[in-house]
Amino acid sequence: MADVKTSLAQFEEISSNPQRLLQNYLDADEKVIACFPIYTPQPLVLAAGMVPMGIWGGQCNAHMAGKYAPIFTCSLLRSCLEFGMTGAYKGVSAAIMPIICDTFRGMNSAWRAGVKDIRPITFIYPQNRKDPGARDFLIEELKTVRSALEEISENQITNEALQEAIELCNQRNAAMRTFCETANEHLDLVKPVDRHHVMKAATFLRPEETIERVSALTEALRAEPVCRWTGKKVILTGITCEPDEILGYFADNKVAVVGDDLAQESRQYRSDYPAAASGMERLALHWFAVHGCSVAHDDNNTVRGRMLAQLAKEQAADCVVLCMMRFCEIEEYDQPSVIKEVTRAGLMSFSIDIDQSTTESGQALTKIQTFAEN
Amino acid sequence: MFAAGIDIGSTASKAVVLAADGSVMGKEIVPIGTGTVGPARVFAQALKSAGITRDDIKWITATGYGRFSFEGINDQKSELSCHAKGIAQLLPQTRTIVDIGGQDIKVMRINDKGMLLNFVMNDKCAAGTGRFLDTMAKVLDVEVTDLSDLSFHSDEPAEISSTCTVFAESEVISKLAANMRMENIVAGIHKSVARRVASLVQRCGIQLEVAMSGGVALNKGLVQSLEEEIKCPIKVHEDCQLAGALGAALYALGSMQSAGTV
Repeated sequence: MADVKTSLAQFEEISSNPQRLLQNYLDADEKVIACFPIYTPQPLVLAAGMVPMGIWGGQCNAHMAGKYAPIFTCSLLRSCLEFGMTGAYKGVSAAIMPIICDTFRGMNSAWRAGVKDIRPITFIYPQNRKDPGARDFLIEELKTVRSALEEISENQITNEALQEAIELCNQRNAAMRTFCETANEHLDLVKPVDRHHVMKAATFLRPEETIERVSALTEALRAEPVCRWTGKKVILTGITCEPDEILGYFADNKVAVVGDDLAQESRQYRSDYPAAASGMERLALHWFAVHGCSVAHDDNNTVRGRMLAQLAKEQAADCVVLCMMRFCEIEEYDQPSVIKEVTRAGLMSFSIDIDQSTTESGQALTKIQTFAEN
Repeated sequence: MFAAGIDIGSTASKAVVLAADGSVMGKEIVPIGTGTVGPARVFAQALKSAGITRDDIKWITATGYGRFSFEGINDQKSELSCHAKGIAQLLPQTRTIVDIGGQDIKVMRINDKGMLLNFVMNDKCAAGTGRFLDTMAKVLDVEVTDLSDLSFHSDEPAEISSTCTVFAESEVISKLAANMRMENIVAGIHKSVARRVASLVQRCGIQLEVAMSGGVALNKGLVQSLEEEIKCPIKVHEDCQLAGALGAALYALGSMQSAGTV
């Protein structure tokens, strides 16, 4: 039990203080590459001998970002720009930016104009994921990322090193999935906010450190008696579910999080890099294996809803909670079809507003409490 | 022994006192909400109208935006749960509830026991809320209670944006500057609110009968506009504004009975 508590406290420390971790890396003469959400090709960074660190914005009342990003900009990307402009990411060598939505198109220009000391490395994921040419197109895009990283690291990225990094990331993904499964048997010990801290910390840590720490936590949990959870259970979907207060509301109302489809959390770890002849091909094929995700086009708009309903069924969840990132139009577009499929499966659903520009979350509390009371 | 429910909203405070047999002994509304003397005043008035003192109350349940800040309560419940319970008592055939509060809109679907089956709330935006109507009344320099009558004298409702209170305010000022009849502007404002609310109703799903709770339900012009948008009749009880407080009082009564203090 002490091991579990200590381990969870360490994950909270890492999750809540990414700047400290960044400084540790820099003090050790490591080069760090910031990775914007989502599906950033981290194995390329690792194969170049550098450290990939996720950036997910954070709660802030932006006062600089407004110069380039109007108030109706995705709350997360606006925060990222604010942090970039105010020096929070100082020391990172570059920022990889996958242009996966319209907001990113504008952010590319905004970043170049507003954050002079951090080079953006941009590339495009093709939304036509059926045309045979899409794979070749994406490999060419990824080659530009590779070239930029080779230039920054002054290391050549060999196929061997890339394959090794991909395997490491796949192992990390497996460790994260195993943790989630195990945590569901110990919902008394792993509160929603604890689960979130583990998932978020993994976006900052080196994959090998994530594997070591998360596997140790999983083992410590397995040594504890299985919990028969009598409260309600939910699945979270969306981009992120922050700040911590919101997750605290679930715990306060005896609601457990037993699965998620959050971009910041399980969406990153649920599908591995598939096997292929070369590392670059594996990176590209990963994108085509992504389904049920708001940033990756599916001709069939029922995929995400059905996937969530299936996840809820597997985990005996009562409800799917849509965590709607403020001004994220791609998530808004997905919302009706997700609700339709979830309702069709006989599940309840409700949405909560996720806004990084305010700490006020009274409406989320009311909704979570209402769900718990009925 | 008595149970009390207090609904502390953003713009008004409401209280209901119930006897052990569930009969309403006192009910009061004060038009100021959380962070003011409204909650204490409405509670004192409800005790007075019930002819009892604070010591006679065995259980108090608070609800509404200010539910965490009222001293001396036994517990608190979300306003959606309380509106559902209150309306189920006032209008038992109701299966869909629309509540336009001071700063949010709630749509609820309930079963025959008043339990929530589904609910939808607006996001953090004042458009379509009671606050929106207050703002528009100020721009037009009329009392918010006069909006209903004014709208019934409209011959050609104006087109007002449903997107944002600030945008809508600018539009209203422009229409005033263009000498548009105030009655048509008010009818346009109601239509704007109704469209906004109707989209939430559609999202939640309509099951008859439909009822409105909350103080905005007293605006007959708005209710009519909403009926036109959702294409079905809406029932409004004379105590619609007290539905949340009544629901809270019913929860309090249940808790009192469970605790064996009746």
